[in-house]
Amino acid sequence: MVAMRQRGPWFDRLVDISAIPELREIVVRGDQIRLGACVTFARAAAHPQLRALTPMLAEACLSIGGPQIQNVGTVGGNVANAAACADTLPVLVALDAQAHIAGAAGERVLPVSELIIAPHHTALQQGELLTAFSFAAPPAGARSIFIKVGRRNAQAISRLSVAAIGHVDAAGLVDHVRLAVGAALPRPQRLTAVEALVHGQRPAPGLYALAGAQAVAVMLDITGRRWSTEYKEVALSQLAPYALARVLEDAPLPTRFDTP
Amino acid sequence: MLIQFTLNGRPVSVEAPAHLTLLTVLRDYFHLTGAKEGCSIGECGTCAVLVDGELVNSCLMLAPKVAARTVLTIEGVSPADGSLSDLQEAFIAYGAVQCGFCTPGMVLAGEALLAQTLTPTREQIRTALAGNLCRCTGYQQIVDAIAAAGAQRKEVN
Repeated sequence: MVAMRQRGPWFDRLVDISAIPELREIVVRGDQIRLGACVTFARAAAHPQLRALTPMLAEACLSIGGPQIQNVGTVGGNVANAAACADTLPVLVALDAQAHIAGAAGERVLPVSELIIAPHHTALQQGELLTAFSFAAPPAGARSIFIKVGRRNAQAISRLSVAAIGHVDAAGLVDHVRLAVGAALPRPQRLTAVEALVHGQRPAPGLYALAGAQAVAVMLDITGRRWSTEYKEVALSQLAPYALARVLEDAPLPTRFDTP
Repeated sequence: MLIQFTLNGRPVSVEAPAHLTLLTVLRDYFHLTGAKEGCSIGECGTCAVLVDGELVNSCLMLAPKVAARTVLTIEGVSPADGSLSDLQEAFIAYGAVQCGFCTPGMVLAGEALLAQTLTPTREQIRTALAGNLCRCTGYQQIVDAIAAAGAQRKEVN
């Protein structure tokens, strides 16, 4: 909308897809979730099962813009716009979400991490429509978190964001961990090197610090040193350990859920 | 294209190009100038209106999207006799208005919240106003006014 207003209309046909029922569905069957591309941030965040199964997705949705934006903006729009700082991207990637794409030839399915090619570039072809995302909820008992750094609490574009999922087994060892970062890499991806470092280990501050250093190393390996690196490497070295500690320990998770 | 919707309780129809925003149609076609164009990129909330009871930025919504829906602008908030609504009176009583540019959006954000709960916490009020910027008063008076109007409605009910 903003681009359209700044450049003027560059199209001769405009189709409103927001009322297509299939695109607005949230379907939860057991631990399998299907989220229509036109589900608004407000609806995703308010959905009781989604909130219970993937709190980090709801947290990410509530961190975008303000109420007006959340009432209109959609998860599919956030993904298709493919901004590096898009807040649902690290969450969907941490969940290994699949993107469902409809075209004249039928449907194809692509991991969200492969749908995004580069900032503001996706693998969507002309004539294709992003219709939904599907993913499995984190294992029972796992905790998830989405946190971001911005200039304000609301109406703030992420300077850095982290999505993390974690679970500790009966022996006290990490048996499930996922970590993805936003606004740090040209295309969203899980930091598998960091996950491998943490998996099978006993949660401890030393482990979190190592994970933070590893996360920074992965970021620098991909992006090299950029103008924002001086800030982001410090922020990520703290944010990744913070997120891991929150999902691997029992302390209460920070939440934006205070909406009536 | 022909767009038909309910505007401030009245069925209306307007012939307008499909790429115009709801804000442009409200201001230039219906001459309802309460919703303002502040930033035009969704940061300030001074163009906010309620669509089917939900707060939206009318500068970021194409007018055809309100077809068959209900739109409430600040002009529709007050009673038909020209008096002010209780929330508007509270804004005055609590000194929540200075230059007034943000006020229509603030009042509608307040109405959207009070439709959910008449006893919001201050934090909930601040969250409800998160997309509306005020550069004059600061936000305390606005939060106070919304809390007071909620409490008053609660008492009346």
